Amino acid sequence: MNALTSLAALLERPETLTAEPRPAGLGRAAMLGYAAGTLGAFIFLRLFSAVPPGVLSYLVVLTFVLAANFLFAGLTHLFMDLTGARGAAGRLFLAFGVTDYFFALLVPLAFFSKLGAPGAFLSVVLVVTLVVYARVRLVRRVYPVSTNKALLSVLLPYAAFCALFFLVFVYSIAWLIWLVV
Amino acid sequence: MEEQKDPAPATQSPLPPPAAPQPAQPAPRGAAVWLKAIAVLYALSLFAAFAVLSRTDAAKKAQPKDMDMSKIAGLGKKKDSVAVIPLYGVISQGASSRSWDRGSQQTAKRIKMLAAKKEVKAIVLDINSPGGSVGAVQEIYSAVLKARAEHKKPFIARFGEVSASGGYYVAAACDKIVAHPGTITGSIGVIFSVANVEGLMKKIGYKSESIKSGKHKDIGSMTREMTADERKLLQSMIDDSYEQFVAAVAQGRKMTPEQVKVLADGRIYTGRQAKENGLVDEMGDLQDAIDAAGTAAGLGKNPQVLSDGDPLENFFSLLDTKLSLFGAQAVADAVNPAPRLEYRWSGR
Repeated sequence: MNALTSLAALLERPETLTAEPRPAGLGRAAMLGYAAGTLGAFIFLRLFSAVPPGVLSYLVVLTFVLAANFLFAGLTHLFMDLTGARGAAGRLFLAFGVTDYFFALLVPLAFFSKLGAPGAFLSVVLVVTLVVYARVRLVRRVYPVSTNKALLSVLLPYAAFCALFFLVFVYSIAWLIWLVV
Repeated sequence: MEEQKDPAPATQSPLPPPAAPQPAQPAPRGAAVWLKAIAVLYALSLFAAFAVLSRTDAAKKAQPKDMDMSKIAGLGKKKDSVAVIPLYGVISQGASSRSWDRGSQQTAKRIKMLAAKKEVKAIVLDINSPGGSVGAVQEIYSAVLKARAEHKKPFIARFGEVSASGGYYVAAACDKIVAHPGTITGSIGVIFSVANVEGLMKKIGYKSESIKSGKHKDIGSMTREMTADERKLLQSMIDDSYEQFVAAVAQGRKMTPEQVKVLADGRIYTGRQAKENGLVDEMGDLQDAIDAAGTAAGLGKNPQVLSDGDPLENFFSLLDTKLSLFGAQAVADAVNPAPRLEYRWSGR
């Protein structure tokens, strides 16, 4: 079963995401999702000259995406586990991979952005919203939780990193002011 | 009838018939077709993106290499500046790198390091000190003289609230001295101080004995009265240190030792009095001193300042100054009864 067929099967019967044993080809489909999504995002960034060219550059972005999603899946699972929801962290990581196919949309959107509408920022927001929506739907498949809790669990790692970034930013500004004054 | 009553055995069997083998579920067709179509579109958009990117990269490569870099040429270059080195508090020998507890070794090292920097065109010594031990003061004085001789960069001394005795000794090595009109300065002289706790020891019944190789080995002992011989010996030592101070001031201020000695009876002066007596060059604040350094170095007024010390150090220094959190050592030094020879004014 190739990745495309596995993905089609998952779309037709989403309950198979949590089936035991794991449906054949799910892992492959998820990894292809990460690769295709990252390629889409990479091409988008390349078209805006935000990343250097080359295969190595793409591999660096892919590694970062895989590491970040692995961490995010772990954090989401930890949150679920602490709040009493039972599920599998591995499946969650694969589910996140499947949702990353949406990042492929960034490639055609990049062309439209270059033409003027929608803007690059809006394109990214649009795709990220789609990805978050898909992730919430799939999290609800992996864990028996409400939509709000699923949304919270998906956004929690992002919120944590935003808070961390904000703290570092404030500290840097304070440091800078201290340097100048 | 019997045949009618006899139910069909097949329908009453407790076990269901074996299920016929289910054929493998066919892959859903609808989604697969859509996905294939999307994959083709994705491949096409990728192809288009690669085509655009390759053309863009080729166009970039075709651009001439000798681009006009004048706008960004200065980004990596360090700007010429004036370095400000603070010299605060009692000067003592020590290698501590903390600015609130900086010893003479560390200050001398900083002077040497900053003077050697290409972008540093002049150095301002921001002095706010009543002086300190003779050796420590002379270490900084010597560092300034060496840096001046080696790098030919102007040194400007700036006096804050107090810059007396050893503080003035260090400033004498500089090209110019800038002080506030109300700065306390002067106190050119040497002091040897030792406490005598003999009476206290008798009172509490404490006795100290020393076995010595020579009669002056315990000179400056605080457990007994000073002898006339010792007083004479110490006086000669103080006179010698005093001559060194006078020589340093005479050399730095372009005066004769006799002229200096008239002023160097240990008295303190205000900044204005010091200027009238030739001990100070200009009245002004730190900015005036920085401007003077910039002018002397050819950078003009209001030059870029390279501040000494890092922000965290300054923060702790501020805490130390305002809250005396780290002032315990200063208190311990002040009440320390051990004898010491100092270029120091005892006031504040």
